Amino acid sequence: MKRSHFPLIVTVVVLAFFYLPILVLVVNSFNASRFGGTWEGFSLRWYSRLLREGEIWQALENSLLIALSATGLATVLGTTAAMALHRYRSRLQNAHYALIFTPLVVPEVLTGISLLLLFVAIGMDLGLFTIFIAHVTFCISYVTMVVLGRLQDFDFAVIEAAQDLGAGWWTTTRRVLLPLLAPGIVAGALLAFTLSMDDFVISFFVAGPGSTTLPIRIYSMIKHGSPPLINALSTILLVVTFSVLLVSQRLIGGKEKP
Amino acid sequence: MAAALTLIVVLGACAKEQATVHLYTWADYVKPELVQKFEKENQCKVVTDTFDSNEAMYAKLKAGATGYDLAVPSSYMAKVMWKQGMLQPLGKDRIPNLAGVDPEYLKIAMDKHMAYSAPYMMTITGIAYLKDRVPDFEPTWAVFERADLKGRMTMLNDMRETIGAALKFLGYSLNTTDEKELQAARDVLIRWKRNLAKFENEQYKTGLASAEFLAVHGYSGDILQVQEENEGVVFAVPSEGTSIACDDLVILKDAPNPDLARKFINFLHRPDVAAENTEFISYLCPNSHSYPLLSQETRNNPTLFPPAEVRKRTEVIDDLGADNAKYTKIWDEIKASR
Repeated sequence: MKRSHFPLIVTVVVLAFFYLPILVLVVNSFNASRFGGTWEGFSLRWYSRLLREGEIWQALENSLLIALSATGLATVLGTTAAMALHRYRSRLQNAHYALIFTPLVVPEVLTGISLLLLFVAIGMDLGLFTIFIAHVTFCISYVTMVVLGRLQDFDFAVIEAAQDLGAGWWTTTRRVLLPLLAPGIVAGALLAFTLSMDDFVISFFVAGPGSTTLPIRIYSMIKHGSPPLINALSTILLVVTFSVLLVSQRLIGGKEKP
Repeated sequence: MAAALTLIVVLGACAKEQATVHLYTWADYVKPELVQKFEKENQCKVVTDTFDSNEAMYAKLKAGATGYDLAVPSSYMAKVMWKQGMLQPLGKDRIPNLAGVDPEYLKIAMDKHMAYSAPYMMTITGIAYLKDRVPDFEPTWAVFERADLKGRMTMLNDMRETIGAALKFLGYSLNTTDEKELQAARDVLIRWKRNLAKFENEQYKTGLASAEFLAVHGYSGDILQVQEENEGVVFAVPSEGTSIACDDLVILKDAPNPDLARKFINFLHRPDVAAENTEFISYLCPNSHSYPLLSQETRNNPTLFPPAEVRKRTEVIDDLGADNAKYTKIWDEIKASR
């Protein structure tokens, strides 16, 4: 029987669907043309202009600061929440699950506006801190879900074995539980980081004076700004992301293969 | 720990209690060097935050977001905000440079006495075309009648702008609420629609730059961007008149620092600053004291300074309240027609 070409074709089409837009963006970041409709020649003018755009870098800094701190806190809280939900049963178990699920299904506009109303009601000044709280709120859910998934096929016998062999609570957690859960935790943290970097709707509502994040800045450039600047910035971010991924894979790969 | 870090950063930012004015505006809407100049002259800080639409900005401020001093809504939104008590009176007596605001503009402005807003930047709607491809162009809305350009023209996908163009073509006001006039405009647009490639708000810029479209209905600011790229693009103001839009400077009701906000408005209307800003962002700051300081090229640009007789026939799109429904109805009919 002849092997079907169908899977290959589907793979190629899907890959093109995913990566072609990114490729177009990267190519256009070097296009002298402002609209990208036609190729006006190779140019680095968007990169040099980007270097002089203080507000964009400020927005990037805000975004990174919020994404890193929100991911940090959400990972800790989300992981503990997942462990608690998995190990202990309570009469409110379903209510607890519902609380975790809710932020995933509630439309972002609702989350954004209700958080804004809450912050206004308790008289909290809007700013980086309110965005941070909002991001932690929805990131916790994602981290919890991912870690819970990992816990589903976690064999608790190894914990008992460790305890049998005389390991204390701390040693068990540090040497057995966390290393086994690490892939789930890292995946959850990465997801949280991406979502936080990416979020526009919620951030828009809870941002205050002086706390414009990168997505807010990008959206607002549509009317008067220069979209090619964003192509250039995205290309730089892509390069950074890919290098970080590459380096981390090298490091992890190096550990696993002795 | 990360939380603590954020907190420290936030508190740190507040601790340096330097006079600060918070500006809530569109991105890239003031020359950055001018902001630095203002900061230096007044020993203060200007913090800029940006929004992407009038509606988003309104929703946020309406929900109670505070801390901003100055906002830059379009005129119709400024009017809504004023009616709802979201703004403070401008206090134009305390902003001496507003004496320079173009009286011609104020005649057609929504806030004729600058009670709550000062005009910032003005833009008009018109027709842009490629001079090599449409050599016999006449500056009139009738260009959309031309069958030889069929499928190579676009009009804005904006109810008020596009119906307004047809109303102007017929010699009516673009704020009319007369059913007969609106029906006549509908029939004109249904006829024009057969010649159009589409109703379009964004892509027409790319299309014009790459000569996919030969004549488009568009905003002057957008067209100036296209001109930077394709020198064959010409902007024409239809002789029947068109619509003019303005973004206004307003001071929010609970502005933490309204006095500094007034100083900033005064600064933006200082003739040399207004002229420099106009040259930089290619919209016109309607301050007549600044006009003599503009370059000859800018002065002769019909996009910024349409001929006087056209200006006379040009109107600001006003919020019609309940009568908006009449426009929605005929716009639906136009969209549905074949």
